[in-house]
Amino acid sequence: MKKVLTGNQAVAYGVSLARVEVISAYPITPQTTIVEYLAELCADGVLEARFITVESEHSAMASLIGASAAGARTFTATSSHGLALMHEMLHWASGARLPIVMVNVNRALGPPWNIWSDQIDSLSQRDTGWIQLYCENNQEVLDTIIQAYRIAEEVSLPVMVVLDAFFLSHTSEPVEIPEERDVERFLPPYRPKFKLDVKDPHSFYLMTPPEYFQEYRYKIQKAMERAKEVIKEVDALYASNFGRGYGVIEPYLCEDAELILITTGTVTSTSREVIRAMREEGRAVGLLKIKMFRPFPSEELKEALGGVRKVAVIDRNLSPGVGGIFAQEIRAALSEDGAPPRLFGFVTGLGGRDITPELISQAIRYSLEREEPEGRVLWLGMRGEKEVIL
Amino acid sequence: MRTEIPEEEYMCSGHLACPGCAAALSMRFALKALGEKTIVVIPASCWSIIAGPFPYSSLRVPLLHVAFETGGAIGSGIKAALELKGDEETTVMVWAGDGGTFDIGLQALSGAAERNEDFIYVCYDNEAYMNTGIQRSSATPYLSWTTTTPVSRPKGNPKKNIIEIMAAHRIPYAATATVAYPEDLVRKLQKAKEKRGFRFIHLLCPCPPGWRIDPELSIKVSRLAVQSKVFPLYEVEDGERYTINLEPKGILVEEYIRLQGRFAHLEDREIEEIQRNVDKAWERLKKLARL
Amino acid sequence: MKAPISFEKEAQMPLIPLSVEDIRWNKTGSWRYMRPRYEDKTPPCNAACPVGVDIVGMMNLVARGELERASRLLRQENPLAGVCGRACFHPCESQCNRREFDEAVAINLVERFVADYGMGGITVKPKRKTGKKVAVVGSGPAGLSCAYFLAVMGHEVVIYEALPVPGGILRVGIPPYRLPKDVVEREIKAIEGIGVKIETNCRVGEDITLEDLRKRYDALFLSPGVHKAKDLGLAGEDSEGVLSALEFLKRVNMGEEVSLGERVLVIGGGNAAIDAARSALRLGAKEVRMVCLESRDEMPAFREEVEEAEEEGILIENGWGPRRFLTRRGRVSGVEFVRCLSVFDAEGRFSPSFDETKKHRVEAEGVIVAIGEEADPSLKEVMRGISWQGDAISVSPTGATSLEGVFAGGDIASPLHNIAQAIGSGKRGAVAIDCHLRGEEAREVLKRIRVGGDGAVSMIKYLHPEERERSPYVVTFSDLNPQYFEYAERVRKIKLLPFERKEGFEEVVFGIAEEMAMREAGRCFSCGVCNECGNCYLFCPDISVLRDKGRIARKIDYDYCKGCGICFVECPRYALTLEVEER
Repeated sequence: MKKVLTGNQAVAYGVSLARVEVISAYPITPQTTIVEYLAELCADGVLEARFITVESEHSAMASLIGASAAGARTFTATSSHGLALMHEMLHWASGARLPIVMVNVNRALGPPWNIWSDQIDSLSQRDTGWIQLYCENNQEVLDTIIQAYRIAEEVSLPVMVVLDAFFLSHTSEPVEIPEERDVERFLPPYRPKFKLDVKDPHSFYLMTPPEYFQEYRYKIQKAMERAKEVIKEVDALYASNFGRGYGVIEPYLCEDAELILITTGTVTSTSREVIRAMREEGRAVGLLKIKMFRPFPSEELKEALGGVRKVAVIDRNLSPGVGGIFAQEIRAALSEDGAPPRLFGFVTGLGGRDITPELISQAIRYSLEREEPEGRVLWLGMRGEKEVIL
Repeated sequence: MRTEIPEEEYMCSGHLACPGCAAALSMRFALKALGEKTIVVIPASCWSIIAGPFPYSSLRVPLLHVAFETGGAIGSGIKAALELKGDEETTVMVWAGDGGTFDIGLQALSGAAERNEDFIYVCYDNEAYMNTGIQRSSATPYLSWTTTTPVSRPKGNPKKNIIEIMAAHRIPYAATATVAYPEDLVRKLQKAKEKRGFRFIHLLCPCPPGWRIDPELSIKVSRLAVQSKVFPLYEVEDGERYTINLEPKGILVEEYIRLQGRFAHLEDREIEEIQRNVDKAWERLKKLARL
Repeated sequence: MKAPISFEKEAQMPLIPLSVEDIRWNKTGSWRYMRPRYEDKTPPCNAACPVGVDIVGMMNLVARGELERASRLLRQENPLAGVCGRACFHPCESQCNRREFDEAVAINLVERFVADYGMGGITVKPKRKTGKKVAVVGSGPAGLSCAYFLAVMGHEVVIYEALPVPGGILRVGIPPYRLPKDVVEREIKAIEGIGVKIETNCRVGEDITLEDLRKRYDALFLSPGVHKAKDLGLAGEDSEGVLSALEFLKRVNMGEEVSLGERVLVIGGGNAAIDAARSALRLGAKEVRMVCLESRDEMPAFREEVEEAEEEGILIENGWGPRRFLTRRGRVSGVEFVRCLSVFDAEGRFSPSFDETKKHRVEAEGVIVAIGEEADPSLKEVMRGISWQGDAISVSPTGATSLEGVFAGGDIASPLHNIAQAIGSGKRGAVAIDCHLRGEEAREVLKRIRVGGDGAVSMIKYLHPEERERSPYVVTFSDLNPQYFEYAERVRKIKLLPFERKEGFEEVVFGIAEEMAMREAGRCFSCGVCNECGNCYLFCPDISVLRDKGRIARKIDYDYCKGCGICFVECPRYALTLEVEER
């Protein structure tokens, strides 16, 4: 059934279809309507889940850790400061190997207060052991949530599904909503690998000395490595069931490209237009969308990029002192190559500033015209500046 | 033999508590009261260590170790899952120290209490952050020494009244108890088990290394705390109905204080001040009990 | 202690860190530097009892309702418990630690209840016959006790009793309203029931000689008692109507006629004087007056006896010493007294001083002289070869006299004249004789089996040395943890009303009912002796106090005990000991 849904509504549908059992969330713009829709679905009995209206995001994640440890399928959503507040619990959830799924609406972190799209919140959490999947449109959001549960429950790692503030969360798009029973077939009820059970008592997450701790981190790394394959399998299975698949990365018009632009999130949609237009003009440019950020698709990236000479990355985020985070990770992934492509790292769109087709073109032209970037961090679309500045 | 206390043990020897630890004994009593269908949640505190390291446990019931400030939230989550699964029998007991209840855990506690989450929250209060080496908490009594309130500047603020805070949340049941009165402790936990909604038990647990007492005096000090009215035994139902469970003998606070090294620096006039405070608090409690 | 589980490689480790085993392999006993252990100690009542009765043991059994076991325990140490439960001066109660809490336990009343339980039908089985024969002279408390214990140990015993009835002062000294005859008879019958033979009407020195006895028997126990009344040495003392308390009471107890007239005067302040006065009252005297040297507080008679006497209307006049008997036509008509200023000198010796100018005349038709008793001087002739010390037979701490194989006990061999002492000395004598017959040194044995510091010994300890040891340390009230005790009223002694008492020689004091006995026994703190209250088990944070089928095993699990000492402090009765751990 096709409906016109905002990103947040799509999230609610996804969660409902996944027959989540315990939801615990704290409102924060622009996630609030997710919470509201879910509360309504629970109150109306459409979704038979327990909804805990916790008093903070930290408690939201903590309560899900409890619920998941007790064997329930769990969900929460947050953004920005809420995610930052949850930070300790994010480490805990992955260390605890709990298949929690969370939606994060990418929003800037203050000060100053800013409620609009920025990727710093989710990217700041890249070391917490969560699988991170970035969505381009509302359809992808809904589909990814359903897939996320299957992935999480298979590899026993939590999954974060990310969408842009306002550009997705509050923007209506047509979304195909899968049938309940089809989703039921694709995603059976949660069968925990371990849980709190009075009939089989254990002590969980107890003090573990140096002689054993490292092995537990090893296990998580191995799970992440396996997750890559699992994500691909689940995506392929989803595609065969529902006709829609996304892959972990998606190359677009990359054949014989001189320069490949790498993007994530809604910028990708705008970029598709720009790249197509440029191809029509005869420029050898391509686009690569990254969906899976954790685990990082190093091999897939290298393969898709082929031996391209130049790569331009658009980061809607800033890690002060180093630059865009995607750029940094891509650079690291490509550094083992004999002759890595030159990387042009653009920072733009912070705090919800619009990334227009003009800005994207500017970035591509800048990169095409130079052998090397003039600096590590290339600022796009600064106030009063017609060009890229350093 | 004291027969009101169930015989079955849900804890075993070999655990890592200090000799004379009242928190260890309290857990022993609590589990006897609640029985085998109990899930225990332990936020960071002494019991995180007492329970035993990987891969061993000293409890015969499931135990979830959790982060310091999350007691109230974890309890809420577990109970939500159990309810969803139709499990009405399993009791969830959060077992948090004073740090994880009065201070860092206060938010989650308040949230869970306000939502009237259906589990039992037990605060085992040894009146300081003992696990990290005796630093003050808001449960540390007035004028006590701790490593962060040294003798030259002992704790200048009174102990936070956590039962009052819980009563203000209008929870169905809040009560104080301590190891020197095992029948009372067991009765209160059993009573809590029969109720629904948020139930809070405040246990006073003397700590030999932290209070600077000989381990053999643990129970005696616990008893003196009650008999000197420093720690009255009482219950509050629905935030309004106060019941005092024991009329103390009215021993002077001095007898309680002089046994503990953490108060060794106290002058007579300070002890008198404490006596006045205790008397005042007792009068107030009696008034509340008469309403 | 090595941890039992060790994962060799990551692949063997569970998906998440969780417990797979409990932590009992961790023997925390290695942390210990103080070590608790169960050590029963001596309660003050046990220490004070001259008979060596395990009072606390008896109390614990009664409190639990195990009355037959209590009865047996009592009989194992005291064959004359029914007598003691009535006539003993209960030094145990004066030492009872509970008196510092509220009121002493009414041990005397409980002992009486236990002794009377089962109509005294509960007995001790004697051991196998040894083939040895022992003769006992005198069937008073010392002789009966010695004979009983010797028979229990398997020896053949014959008691030679001068009077027509056995019992000594139990039978002919203490009046029936204090100690009923049927009680004495019942207990003597029980003693005969285990094989002791009593030959009455047989006086040593007349009907049989000491030499005969020495020839026919392997050992001898002499306990003839002291039956000569002391006299005042005043003129007119031999007038008609004047007799000694000893003689008076004997006649009364033997059912003989004694007429004393309407007004009776008793001279003396001890128990015999009170016994005589109260008996005279019951025989119909209209006025009975006791006059003695001592002040009220100095009177040697049991205070309770004095009170009962006054309730019955007997007049007591303190601080007078007799000077002259007044007679009329050969019969006594009264006594003249002078004021006694003091009875004891600065060193506490008996040395009365008088004010001869202050006189006081008391008229009476009957005068009973009750100033004490001493050994019959003819005994010195009869028991030739034995050393005497003044009026008493000289004995070693084991009761041995200077003659080989001849032992002595009871009033004849001690300055302390009371029933409990006598029974205790009989028991000691029996043990000494048994050692003698087996060729063993008695002195060390008696030391080993003693209870308290005054010479009382335990037969149970003698016959069953492996049974629960008790340290000789006597527990005081400050050793106890009274937090676990609640105030409880002591059982009230119920007596006949004074007007009821005078009508005859009915027993004045009633016994107590079973519930009351159990309740009163429950008041016993069980000082120094574990009674399985369970505090140690309950308060152990390490669950290291062991149980055995629900009962406290009185064993600590030293594998885990951290030596915190809580069990030691929370034991209400100081039945544990905490010492430095030796490594």
